[in-house]
Amino acid sequence: MATANIKDVKRRMKSVESTMQITKAMELVASSKLRKAKERAEACQPYFAQMYETMCDILSAKDFKSEFMSKRHLKASLIVVIAGDRGLAGGFNHNVLKMAQQRIDELNKKGETFKILPVGKKAVEYFSKRGYEVYSSYQNVAEELSFEDAESISAEIVKGFEFNKYGTVELLYTHFVSALMQTPESIAVLPVEGQTEAKSNCPLTIYEPSAEAVFDGIVPKYVTGLIYCAIVNSFVSEQAARRTAMESASDNASEMIDKLSLLYNRARQAQITQEINEIVAGSMFGGK
Amino acid sequence: MAEFRLKITTPEKVFFDGMAERLIARTTEGDIGILAGHVDYVSNLPSGAMKIKQKGGGFRAAAIADGLLKVSKTEVSVLCSAIEWSDEIDVERAKRAEAEARKLLAEKLSERDEQIVKLKLSRALNRINVAEK
Repeated sequence: MATANIKDVKRRMKSVESTMQITKAMELVASSKLRKAKERAEACQPYFAQMYETMCDILSAKDFKSEFMSKRHLKASLIVVIAGDRGLAGGFNHNVLKMAQQRIDELNKKGETFKILPVGKKAVEYFSKRGYEVYSSYQNVAEELSFEDAESISAEIVKGFEFNKYGTVELLYTHFVSALMQTPESIAVLPVEGQTEAKSNCPLTIYEPSAEAVFDGIVPKYVTGLIYCAIVNSFVSEQAARRTAMESASDNASEMIDKLSLLYNRARQAQITQEINEIVAGSMFGGK
Repeated sequence: MAEFRLKITTPEKVFFDGMAERLIARTTEGDIGILAGHVDYVSNLPSGAMKIKQKGGGFRAAAIADGLLKVSKTEVSVLCSAIEWSDEIDVERAKRAEAEARKLLAEKLSERDEQIVKLKLSRALNRINVAEK
């Protein structure tokens, strides 16, 4: 019995060891990707902040109508969900998808229609498996995201909005707070809401050719900026979540190896003791 | 000549942040020159060339892709999806991009891809134009 036990324990130790090698490698890969992605996420912040500020300035400066401002009467919405392309990242994919599901349930209860635009393989799989109406989908764009990719996604969103396919656009993604904290968040993208409380600080600004035209020109860029930042943020969050998950997996594995090697040593000792017992017993009775 | 603070930002980085004497940009309405003390002004910039003059130097041109010009009391800011100094443009690379885009356009593409390729083509052409001026 003891010998069988020894073999079992040895086999388990080996398998845990090889699992640990994988988790360790994934952890290292994730942390190096995290560093690069973080730089990118920080670099896009000033661009987006300024874009948003300019848009708010125009909104507060002039009274005007734009087709990007109200289409709430259309009881249809587009939900953009950004998740990862790969699994094994702790609760990363689950959290953002759960939030999307809650929003969908809410809309279902109200009887409103919606379409979904998933970005990232995990989101695409989730929604197509459950049979939701997928408007269009993007996979494997997050890691090597170029601004052109974000532009083409945003162009599609804006076009659908202009053609009255939906009246609101929401964006669900994971916001990167810190390496240990990533929170799923939802942003209302379109229609653009007027910031009425902050009345203009520069009412004499000249808009060329007109405030409306400049505004209509900015909105697609604003959406692009938003999408770009959201995908970049989501990607950093994914790496951070994966690193944390893999770190704890590696810790667990090494703990398990410790326990197993204790078990192994005990079993080996027991086997030796038994063998000695057998030899002693054999020599005691064998001689007679 | 009086100077003003100019800031050029792209999604990837802050491209330029410093003092400048003069800025000439091509807006959707035509060329506009900005000097220090310009009235507050906002306009869209299509892809094109932009020229910047700093104290003691000549004009330096840059190829800009699709942006926004904003002049306020404190600073002039340009937001754009991409920008490159004309003397740093890799013409060979731009030409390769052009050829590649043209080749792709000749094939049958989905609407989405076609849009992207057209965008890439127009940017490559803009870079070539600015660099060879």
